[in-house]
Amino acid sequence: MRERGMSRRRVLGIGGALGLVAATGLSASAALARRPPVTGAELRSALPLPPPFRVPLPIPSVLKPVGTSGGADRYEITQREASAEILPGVRTPLWTYEGTFPGPTIESRRGRPVTVTHRNELPLPTVVHLHGGRTPAASDGYPTDLVLPEGWPETAAHAGGHGMHDPRALVSRLTRDYTFPLDQRPTLLWYHDHRMDFTAPAIWRGLAGLHIVRDDAEDELGLPSGPRELPLMIADRAFAADGGLDYPALDPALRERPGVREPYLAGVLGDVILVNGAPWPVHEVDAARYRLRVLNASNARHYELEAVTDDGRRLDLVQVGADQGLLAAPVTHRLLPIAPAERYDVIVDFSGVPVGGRVRLLNRIGSGRARDVMAFRVGRKVTDDSRVPRVLSSDLPDWRRSDAVRVRDFSFRTGRMHGGHGWLIGGLPFDPARTDVTARFGDVEVWRLIADVHHPIHLHLVGFRVLSRSGRPPLPHDAGLKDTISLRPGEAAEIITRFDGYRGRYLFHCHNAEHEDMGMMANLEIV
Amino acid sequence: MATPATRPSGWTLRAVVSAHLVAIVGQPVFAGVYLTGDYDSLHWHAVGADVVTSIGYSQLIVAIVVWVRLRQVWPFLGTAAVVAAETVQYFAGLDGALWLHVPLGVMTVAALVVQFVAVWRRPVVRGEARDA
Repeated sequence: MRERGMSRRRVLGIGGALGLVAATGLSASAALARRPPVTGAELRSALPLPPPFRVPLPIPSVLKPVGTSGGADRYEITQREASAEILPGVRTPLWTYEGTFPGPTIESRRGRPVTVTHRNELPLPTVVHLHGGRTPAASDGYPTDLVLPEGWPETAAHAGGHGMHDPRALVSRLTRDYTFPLDQRPTLLWYHDHRMDFTAPAIWRGLAGLHIVRDDAEDELGLPSGPRELPLMIADRAFAADGGLDYPALDPALRERPGVREPYLAGVLGDVILVNGAPWPVHEVDAARYRLRVLNASNARHYELEAVTDDGRRLDLVQVGADQGLLAAPVTHRLLPIAPAERYDVIVDFSGVPVGGRVRLLNRIGSGRARDVMAFRVGRKVTDDSRVPRVLSSDLPDWRRSDAVRVRDFSFRTGRMHGGHGWLIGGLPFDPARTDVTARFGDVEVWRLIADVHHPIHLHLVGFRVLSRSGRPPLPHDAGLKDTISLRPGEAAEIITRFDGYRGRYLFHCHNAEHEDMGMMANLEIV
Repeated sequence: MATPATRPSGWTLRAVVSAHLVAIVGQPVFAGVYLTGDYDSLHWHAVGADVVTSIGYSQLIVAIVVWVRLRQVWPFLGTAAVVAAETVQYFAGLDGALWLHVPLGVMTVAALVVQFVAVWRRPVVRGEARDA
């Protein structure tokens, strides 16, 4: 009995010790974990940052066509270095489309082709991709289809840090015509650089602009329009002491070694939130409905947007459209998550806000200065004849699981590549010479995507619908037709799409731009 | 007095703890395979969660029987802790709270290994009245 008593005391001691270890471990995990989870590391600006909600919201200018003959519009865009006053009193050198950041907006009509002649006057090769465009492969901006600047040696054409040569690359010198048929649902697209291995720093330096597609059916809905339709390109940046944009590139010349310094491997976050290129801007609005066409053009930062009045009331964010155009019916959110490259078309009604009142657009998952995005100040009472119809569209594809001829699984996770840290799809880093997926033209397929950390997955050419998330029904903001889906840590999603439109070599990739540059892309060949 | 033999309720406890351990070891396996990109493993991880949790509650019942019939309370206390952890674990998994799900999962497996050793190390016999 004495022995049993001893052993019981010992059991209690051991049990207590194990309990203490367990409690300490779980507390440490709770304390150290990023809750909510965040993928990426924040760069801190070396300059004093301005107070929020002082700078007026710029609206990117709409580009005028240089020709409109034969049922098509022709545009010219020069890519060149420029500087802009982003922070008050500070000049910031940028890479730009037409001298501005964001670049000029292209307004187009469904089915009316647009040709954009891009002229590269930047010091490095570039590639233009129209994100969300249903574009023939030759104009889709494949990462090795470079436009070389004048005087760039032809032998360096591949310009890839991995020395990858791509025999199928369509390289041009100085200029290139990109032709966009735009035979697609009306929506907000965006164009940005997509150069092999160096997409992230090029977008960071300013190579991004908006492209809107409209049609008569959408115009007739009566949604807020004109000055009450606002494109909002949200992007985070960080500023170096000299006023330039800070970026932790391994090769600051952006020529040889792709990727970023080790602390930023998961993604580069800035501590300044820009909307249409202005830091935490403010916009004067009428007490009426507004249509906000929101794009997250950040490299890696996710947002959860909410519109909050000064007395703490949250306004409804009524979603009318997704990446690939109008929803079937509006979906009301209070909190709207938006991952890099996603777009949401949202109606906000300021009519209940008193004149002189303010509505802040906040980022619920941001910390510090990244909590604020922008503000609206209500200027005057008006009559508002806009409306949000109960039925927005009836042309969404209704692919069913039974239509799918194939189910494919892809994992998006961290791994080793070329002896360093990389990001892999199905265990492999991107190789232009390897066809990862061959899909037959017209086939419906289900793709099951699995993530380790946050991965916003983007398919070129096609829109898709979300069937499930981790085996459960899609989330409210998954409605409609998407081209980018935000996977959260450990999450899986099933998407369904039909590979049609054009044949050729396309891509799918993670739109965390740092992940994309560090291997997380794959080839999609449509035959 | 000869070494007392394990009673039927003791044998039931051994069986259910053993089944519990086998089932729970499958969970990290399915999770790992899932993260390599095998979507079906997520389904098996979910099925496994149901199985493990069900066995856990069965073990709790058996442990109560052992407590009542054999006057041994430690299997009940240990099982109650494991079942509480598994319940939290279940919802942490559904919720995607990986900061909790992963370490708690490791600890739950470790706790079951300890229980497995405890029930098999020596006969599960009737304890002294004052031990209960």
